[in-house]
Amino acid sequence: MTSASWHSERSSLSYLWVALLPLAGFIGLVWGLLRHPLPWRGSWPWIPSLGVEFSIYIDGFAAQFLALITGIGALVIVYASAYLAHEPARGRLFLILIAFMVAMAGAVSADHLLLLFVCWELTSLTSFLLVGFHHEDERARASARQALLVTLSGGLALLAAILLLADMAQSYSLRAIIERGPTLVDDPRLPAALVLLFVGCFTKSAQFPFHFWLPGAMAAPTPVSAYLHSATIVNLGIYLLARLDPAFNALWLWEATLLGFGTLTAVWGAVQALRERDLKRILAWSTVSALGTLTLLIGLPNPGAGLAVATFLFAHALYKAPLFFVAGNIDHATGTRVIDRLAGLRRAMPWTAAAALLAGLSMAGLPLSFGFVAKDLISSAKADAEVLIWVSYATLFVNAAAAAVAGVAAIRIFGGGPLKPQGHIHEAPWRMVLPPLLIALVGLEFEFLPDLADPLLVEAARSIAPELDVAAVVAPYESDAAIIAAEITFVIGVLLFLAWDRLHDVLRRIHWLDHLGPAAFYERALGALAVVAAWQNRLLQHGRLAAYLRLSLIGVLALAAGASLASGAGGLIERMASLFAAWPERGWLWLAAAALIAAGAAAGLFSRDRMALLMASGLVGYGSAALFLFTGAPDLAFTQFTVETALVVVAASLLPRYGQPPVLEGEPRALNALVALACGVGTLALLAQLFALPADRTLADWFGAASVPHAHGRNVVNVIIVDFRAMDTLGEIAVVLFSLVAALPLLGALARRPRAPA
Amino acid sequence: MNPRALMLEKAARPLYWIMLAAALWVLLRGHNAPGGGFIGGLIALAATAAYAIVFGAAAARRRLPLGPLPLAALGVALALVSGLPALWWERPYLSHLWFSLPLGFTDLKLSTVLLFDAGVFGAVWGALAGYVLALLRSVEAAAAEGPP
Repeated sequence: MTSASWHSERSSLSYLWVALLPLAGFIGLVWGLLRHPLPWRGSWPWIPSLGVEFSIYIDGFAAQFLALITGIGALVIVYASAYLAHEPARGRLFLILIAFMVAMAGAVSADHLLLLFVCWELTSLTSFLLVGFHHEDERARASARQALLVTLSGGLALLAAILLLADMAQSYSLRAIIERGPTLVDDPRLPAALVLLFVGCFTKSAQFPFHFWLPGAMAAPTPVSAYLHSATIVNLGIYLLARLDPAFNALWLWEATLLGFGTLTAVWGAVQALRERDLKRILAWSTVSALGTLTLLIGLPNPGAGLAVATFLFAHALYKAPLFFVAGNIDHATGTRVIDRLAGLRRAMPWTAAAALLAGLSMAGLPLSFGFVAKDLISSAKADAEVLIWVSYATLFVNAAAAAVAGVAAIRIFGGGPLKPQGHIHEAPWRMVLPPLLIALVGLEFEFLPDLADPLLVEAARSIAPELDVAAVVAPYESDAAIIAAEITFVIGVLLFLAWDRLHDVLRRIHWLDHLGPAAFYERALGALAVVAAWQNRLLQHGRLAAYLRLSLIGVLALAAGASLASGAGGLIERMASLFAAWPERGWLWLAAAALIAAGAAAGLFSRDRMALLMASGLVGYGSAALFLFTGAPDLAFTQFTVETALVVVAASLLPRYGQPPVLEGEPRALNALVALACGVGTLALLAQLFALPADRTLADWFGAASVPHAHGRNVVNVIIVDFRAMDTLGEIAVVLFSLVAALPLLGALARRPRAPA
Repeated sequence: MNPRALMLEKAARPLYWIMLAAALWVLLRGHNAPGGGFIGGLIALAATAAYAIVFGAAAARRRLPLGPLPLAALGVALALVSGLPALWWERPYLSHLWFSLPLGFTDLKLSTVLLFDAGVFGAVWGALAGYVLALLRSVEAAAAEGPP
């Protein structure tokens, strides 16, 4: 895409109106917050027979998420309407984006856990479609598949956790489980439930070792990354963990896991961010790092941590989304996101530079920014909790790395002299400048007008930390310790920023970091899956009908043998023998029919000519028909004769001219004979077992008695077909008709098929 | 067909009509004796197949009362419709009704069962003939291009 093609401001304003949908949601939310005290609840019957209700519960924490979803959502759509102005299929993107918003809003509003789960999975599904939006691109497909596989596997674990938790708490209500959480501590199933819950939430929120899908998902269009990977889907796991924190935070397992994995993820993300040169991937890794910090904070036991979670979540969304937008603007204007090729862009793109600077201030946690408040709360939360010293060091490093990343995104790219003439680089259109500026300004404004931010954040924090009694969030500068911590962090951050290139080279050379961990495992597992699939396809789906039939018969035989062994086959031989014990009336006729069948089968066994084989199978059919006739089933015999005749006549006329060699070759005849023999014996054994059962003649007697008085027919078989079970017959002939409808195009193609060169 | 089989050609035309008559007879007697729509349809199919083998798929298709697909669809439609009169007398769908039409010398027994069975006959004949004729046509197309 050239810079000129997207720059034209006159490019269609279509789809801008879509932003009205989330905007309406946002305005409705704000209006509701002003008019009605939280929490809001509602419940409607959904699946009454299973006791599943469509119940929602919106408290401060949910409202905070809803504000992010609708507010940033509206701006994302404004941005995307310009970013994708020349994308022919963009209507699809907007549709999926709206669907994603609805799913996301549902997930954070739901009180019934199954409703939450459905919405949770819907966000995975829609995000798969969004990440893979450029589906003609191989890498985009791989990323989308990776994100889907990881989050859906986690979703299954979450479902298991939900079922366990609901069973333990005797309720599917999230509120009820939080209330009853402390009483579940002694339940032996709780550790299993929590581990499953961790898997579900960690996959969604990109925690180690499931973090790798998030940087991979950067193949998504930038508006999607700005929305999904800063403010919404990746925070969903954090949301659920924070929600359940009051229930379980007294548990050692809960605290240690969250603290451990959170810290590891935070450090891992920060280190990986230093190893990247692609601006968007740097931001993605810093998001992983921030999510780790959030998990770590949830793991802290004191209520102050709840406030830190709510504030940092908000602050992170408000600086990360603008930075993604900035990355998108730069990519669009210059065609690259590699930071080595970018410098001095502030002259060409002043508004984008301003947005980057504002967001960068907050990300670096500098005073006068919302990020500073968040970092301050994080420090005091850790100080109150008396966490292990290595956690403190880790967060210090993580915060410094965040500051360095902010420096790269805000200063390095825009400062300094241009690398080459920038005549062709233009500022992005207003629809791509306004959203990042607006969001970054909101982040700053919360610092200057605390009355706006405080109530919501305190309300949110109270939702996840009920014992919290702080009245105001934004009251920093009171402790020197916070200022000093911020200064130390900032100094280290500046050092990291200045040494970025050298650090990068060092870290880049540590190759084992690439091969370490789950990403490589994922690749290997996916590769193995393809190999296994190809192998079993070659083994089973080879296209030779005789082999299909042989395999199916062997399978049925094995099943039958297994079942009869399991149920005890005692006396089977005697029962089979007893079938032959009594000489039936007109038994010699039966014998003649059986001889006909045997002759056909033997001829089939020893013949190699296809036509002779067909005739032999016809002989078997005629023999069966004769047997039916002599054993009192004239209708069946009649049908069998007709079917067999029609089949042989048609097949005989088709066979010689079908291009097949007339002689059968390459078939394992001995094996086939063995399978056929086993099938015969198996059928005999089945009959013997059947005859040993007491015969229930209720239906047969009823049909026999009712045929003439109810249906005026003496042919019971026909009466059953056309009258008693007429609905079944109707279905069957409809199936015959529809099968022809489906087959005619195939057969027509067969007639038109050019002959393959000999 | 090449080479021509004189005996078959001479026999095929009368055989076709005889087999169709037999198929109809089997259909009509089916309610009280072995037979019925399904077997009748199969016999009619055998007649069509034999005709097609001798005179070609296109000729056999022209001999059908309708095209194979319309014939099968008509059959299913007949079976569907045969269940409707029951609704008029507020009986469940597909409850069959019997009428007796006095003709003076004998009473003609009519029933929705006959309609239903005729539907089965048409569906089986049409659908299977569709398969057979399409397969034969593909063979003829291959044969027309010359021996393999």
